[in-house]
Amino acid sequence: MNTSLRMLMCCLLLLPLFSAGQDSASIYTAQLLQPPADSVRTKAIGRLAALRIPATFPLLMAINDKKLYLLDQKAVTVDSKPTGEGTYRLYSLYPDNTLLTNSSGQPLLLPLSALKTVDIPRGDRLQLAGIAPLLNLFSNDAQKRILAYSQLKNTGDSATLSILQAALAKETNADALRTGKDVLYAARLYKATSTANANAYIDSIGDNWSDNAPVLLRNYAKAGFLNQETAHYAAAKAVSLEKRYDSLQRIQNFFSGLSLGSILILIALGLSIVYGLAGIINMAHGEFMMIGAYTTYCTQVFFTHTLGIPQTDIFFLCALPLSFIVAGAMGWILERLVIRHLYAKPLESLLATWGVSLILIQTARLLFGDLTAVKTPQLLSGGWQVSPHLTLPYNRIFIIVLTLFMVLFTYLMLFRTRLGLQIRAVTQNRQMSACLGIETRRVASITFFIGSGLAGLAGCAITLIGNVVPDMGQTYIVDSFLVVVTGGVGKLAGTIFSGLGIGFFTKISESFFQAVYGKVFILVFIMLFMQYKPKGLFPDKGRIAED
Amino acid sequence: MKTNNNTLLYILFIAVFAILLPAGYLSGLLSVNTISVWGRYFCFAIAALGIDLIWGYTGILSMCQAFFFCLGSYGIAMHLLLKKTATAGAVLPDFMAWNKIETLPFFWQPFQSFGWSLALCLLIPAVFAFIVGFVLFRSRIKGVYMAIITQALTLAMWLIFLRNETNLGGTNGLTDFSTILGFPLSSSSVKLGLYMISFVILCGAYFCCYKITHSKFGKVLQAIRDSESRVSYTAYKVVDYKLAVFVVAALLAAAGGMLYLPQTGIITPGRMDVKASVEMVMWVALGGRGNLKGAVIGALLVNFLYSICTSLFPDSWLFILGFLFVITVLYFDKGFMGLIDSIKQRFSATRFKTPQTTH
Repeated sequence: MNTSLRMLMCCLLLLPLFSAGQDSASIYTAQLLQPPADSVRTKAIGRLAALRIPATFPLLMAINDKKLYLLDQKAVTVDSKPTGEGTYRLYSLYPDNTLLTNSSGQPLLLPLSALKTVDIPRGDRLQLAGIAPLLNLFSNDAQKRILAYSQLKNTGDSATLSILQAALAKETNADALRTGKDVLYAARLYKATSTANANAYIDSIGDNWSDNAPVLLRNYAKAGFLNQETAHYAAAKAVSLEKRYDSLQRIQNFFSGLSLGSILILIALGLSIVYGLAGIINMAHGEFMMIGAYTTYCTQVFFTHTLGIPQTDIFFLCALPLSFIVAGAMGWILERLVIRHLYAKPLESLLATWGVSLILIQTARLLFGDLTAVKTPQLLSGGWQVSPHLTLPYNRIFIIVLTLFMVLFTYLMLFRTRLGLQIRAVTQNRQMSACLGIETRRVASITFFIGSGLAGLAGCAITLIGNVVPDMGQTYIVDSFLVVVTGGVGKLAGTIFSGLGIGFFTKISESFFQAVYGKVFILVFIMLFMQYKPKGLFPDKGRIAED
Repeated sequence: MKTNNNTLLYILFIAVFAILLPAGYLSGLLSVNTISVWGRYFCFAIAALGIDLIWGYTGILSMCQAFFFCLGSYGIAMHLLLKKTATAGAVLPDFMAWNKIETLPFFWQPFQSFGWSLALCLLIPAVFAFIVGFVLFRSRIKGVYMAIITQALTLAMWLIFLRNETNLGGTNGLTDFSTILGFPLSSSSVKLGLYMISFVILCGAYFCCYKITHSKFGKVLQAIRDSESRVSYTAYKVVDYKLAVFVVAALLAAAGGMLYLPQTGIITPGRMDVKASVEMVMWVALGGRGNLKGAVIGALLVNFLYSICTSLFPDSWLFILGFLFVITVLYFDKGFMGLIDSIKQRFSATRFKTPQTTH
């Protein structure tokens, strides 16, 4: 009862003050912009800072940021960053704070030279230090605003809240709005006097669902502010929010697993075909991935430096087929020089290709140094914000789509073309295929080309999510071998299933254990799995299965 | 004829490493570091003998020998570190204090005593090899599958050893020891002593392996390499043989690791990463697999080459190693020893075809 009475009093007192303040604000603003004497300006700023009228905050903010300009005798400010051509967007400051437009309704763009800078001495600006946190609510920078909102977390005084409300009314950034609303609702919740009122604010906080909403509600429930009922309600709300958050987290994990799995599939696809066909364990497969990644990097450098095309997405589109071809060609050369002599000797090929991978890694290190990175194309930066707490990055979505596409491509190649028929025949029985007139060597060369090309493509895709380093292939090679082993050698379906399976398992176990123990767990799991299926998920049946 | 050749080789080997090198050091021609470096190579050679047993003679490509090697090293390192902390009057090794650990983890406790450390350094790898081998061989995992799974195992263990919370020193590994059984590690006579011990153990290990390979047991191992299914058709328990040789190889690797540690004074997880484990196999491949002399010579040669190349042209060592890998596999299937044999056979009339290993 007491509190509500006091609030009423406050409102009554504030009302006339507001209108009177409005008038004096106009006077002070005018004095500030065209001061008859320096002392008048100093006094005007001091008065404005003391009055704390929301409408004047953009102006004061501009003073604080030293970004106050005059355009046709009117006070304006500019964006924190220029647009592409060195011009700035302009905002009016008082009495209203809006984006300035030209006659056709487009944002008005002007260089700084077209504006007259208003210099406010440091001494004058220092008078604003006391209200700096509040001023930041009206900053042009969304990050600053979010910070400013969260700094108000524990304030309960109504003058500040009314300023907060004014700031929220013109808030455009979704994240900032959420943070601000959270603070506002929380303050109101603590002031609520009836159960219905409090519950309504609890609901609002729930709907708003900012990051610290569960903590906030829990604290409120613990304090037992109003009565037991609201406390229970708040606690229940917090639990339901956390549950929803957990389920979203699960979706996020699922998605990460899908994306990791698709990278593994992309790498293991080539590995599996080559092993099935030629009995070759290609330890240098990861290095073809590295070659693909460096091809992407070179394409980027070529486009930006040699051709002088600034950051565009074209380079990535070109890099996709290029990385396939370059890595494929390298694979073809390797097949000609080394692999050809090692058919059906998997252990020997393992060692020889390991040597090749050492050579390739060292070559890359000498050519490119230790660390390079490819800029993510603009088109693929950012993510699809499904909800405030669930963002699916575009680059990972792209990798998943690419994998789908390449799996389809491999499937069609293997099962719908003459070459695929030959590849499958040679995989089953090399000698018999040769007897039937299949040029097994040619088939093997082409298969090696495609397999290495697929790895190159994977490398190109991985530049989207990581750095390009000479030994990047090594990170994935053991995992992708595990995929091949678990899936069964030379089996498309097996590779897909085990790739996805290992991807999911990794991500799910990472959410229980730490990443390292997750990996150990997977390994133990695979070893146990192979007790039942020693030849992988989809073993050959019948006579082929014999040694 | 052949035995004569062998005897000559043994005499030469012993003369060079047991007499010439120590004599060179005592007369001041060689620095103590050279002695120590060769001592380390002997440790690698001991591990290489194990790899030759399991890969060269039995045809199982195990990529986790580097891990067993490190298990031996880590065990001794833990003992030495505890001794050092005890003499310094501290309760815990420095790195644990930095990681804010209050009590000694339980698995460090037995390493307080030297005897227990020795026993555990051999027991842990043996038990580990037994369990892994049992699981893998029982489900008839072989060939490439075996290689990949053991490699993944090494990778996983490497990741675990890299962590700080496993209390094994993380990325920095264990280092900074002072004494072994009261003798200061930095003194040159201790280094010479360790060198000699390594040499004697290498010779002992060679002798044991020689006996194994020339016994009936060894013949079965080679039969398994050449045709596993036929051996099992003739009522041999293939799994038992494989398991036995896997454990023996793990023991040899661990013994090498145990001797290796006091001579280098540091052990990091880098010794057991994927690269290290493939390299260990390569020593045997380069020296000549299925040939115990080859394994020893390969390990010594590659490491000697490594120390020369890294000091002369550091950038190209990986190129040299890579080319060695490729050329050995492509052209010298039997490695260095095979090369020597084939040169010898040029002079003799007939050239026997070497049996092909089945895949």
